[in-house]
Amino acid sequence: MAAQDIAIIGYAQSPSWRAADLTEPQFLFPVISEAIERAGIDRRDLGFTCAGSCDYLSGQTFAFVMNLEAVGAWPPISESHVEMDGAWALYEAWVRLQHGDIDTVLAFGSGKSSPGTPSEIYPLQMDPYTITPLGADPVSLAALQARAMLDAGIATERSFAEVAARSRRSAIGNPYAQVSGEFDVDALLAEPYVTAPLRRHDLPPISDGATAVVLATAEKAKEVCERPVWIRGIDHRIEAHQPGMRDLTTSASTRLAGEKAGVGDAPVDVAELSATFTHQEPLLRTALGLGDDVEVNPSGGALAANPVMAVGLSRIAEAARQISEHGKHRAVAHATSGQCLQQNLICVMEGD
Amino acid sequence: MSDTTEAIDPDAPVTGMDYFMSLHYREQICPVVERFSAELMEGRITGHKCPQCGLVYVPPRGYCPICVVETTEADEIVANDRGVVTNYTVVTPVAYYGQEATDPFAKVSIYLDGGGSLSLQDVLDVPADEVRVGLRVQAVWAPLGERTVDDIGNRSWGSAEGAIQGWHPTGEPDVAREDLPNQGGF
Repeated sequence: MAAQDIAIIGYAQSPSWRAADLTEPQFLFPVISEAIERAGIDRRDLGFTCAGSCDYLSGQTFAFVMNLEAVGAWPPISESHVEMDGAWALYEAWVRLQHGDIDTVLAFGSGKSSPGTPSEIYPLQMDPYTITPLGADPVSLAALQARAMLDAGIATERSFAEVAARSRRSAIGNPYAQVSGEFDVDALLAEPYVTAPLRRHDLPPISDGATAVVLATAEKAKEVCERPVWIRGIDHRIEAHQPGMRDLTTSASTRLAGEKAGVGDAPVDVAELSATFTHQEPLLRTALGLGDDVEVNPSGGALAANPVMAVGLSRIAEAARQISEHGKHRAVAHATSGQCLQQNLICVMEGD
Repeated sequence: MSDTTEAIDPDAPVTGMDYFMSLHYREQICPVVERFSAELMEGRITGHKCPQCGLVYVPPRGYCPICVVETTEADEIVANDRGVVTNYTVVTPVAYYGQEATDPFAKVSIYLDGGGSLSLQDVLDVPADEVRVGLRVQAVWAPLGERTVDDIGNRSWGSAEGAIQGWHPTGEPDVAREDLPNQGGF
């Protein structure tokens, strides 16, 4: 059975803060209200809500329950939660719309990375017997991946720095970005390593933030939205948990998800990729078959703002913005989960 | 975690492993909780009263999740430090790593006279098995000088720990179940 046409009819993001002084429900509150308002619907029209967040990140069990206060959960609503980036919440919301009995859904993602210590928290998502006790943190694992790419001759440290400089330049003027500005590639390369071969500019910032997206069926979208952004394909794939069992210089799951979502079926104007480390951008470009003519991360991407659990959904929102506000026709958004691009989601969108 | 150390046979197959770890979080107190804490230090329990539905939130959250409206200092009220136990849980401690309690203890929810409620409170001088719904209680404030709000965070779920030592029965007759407040009126 062919999937029903679903459109993005509203989206909103919070700024990306290094350390928000508000609680997660407090900064989610205006983001959700804005997304609903931009969608031109009433909150009570929502047939389903799905959230993405991580209790380990918040340091509180059932933190996701408090986040629901920002939705307005009375009278009781139909909702679900994924312990994943909000992009996967959007996927569940998209699936829910396929049932055909409701016409409008809300997906959101939120996270506060600032209170915890990433190098303590992230090893907990690894194999608890062999890798967690090693304290394998994301920067170390990303450095192994970057090293594998250098050794394979498919990238250079300069090419990494060029990604950083371009992303930061693109982020100028993006009100949601945390890191932006003009940077000289030679100057960046003169900086010391954080974890060789990665320098500070190769790493994402630590961010707090939230993103919300409203989806609707074709009929509802045409009724309430002037410029709906159509989801033409969405797919996610996962690879082995053990980084040592994968070829880290490529991303088989991204390639497969891209094929299933139909990335190559027509020319792509713009892509928003969750490359949280500079070396992952060329890797993802190759896996998706995006040529040099495709504009990548006009928002600055995850290197400019990295609110974990919202950053993937932000890519979908930013890609949708390129269509609804900047006149682009076809856009690709990518979200990732796990270490070294273990799991990847691809969403292909088009304007009318 | 077991309290006993068993002799380990080096030749036996490995069937499990202990891995102890701790996570450290340091979170900035949000402005509404900061103000709530400052008021507690002065001996006042404060909350926000929703300008739309009138529900009182203690501590203030900065919004009413029912009406989905933001609340501000303009909506602040001083709540009563007397109230009635509306619910309770008796916790029977089991030995696990970090558990210091050994005897059963009660944690109660208290609806404050006039509106607002606090949860996870201690009732003083009442055995755990005599704690009950309808019990009238009043706050026992820590003396000035000993009062702290160091343990109150953004996620304290209504705690006033350090400022209020617990709640003492007032000696008034219990509130009958049918007369208990139903905060929402739903």
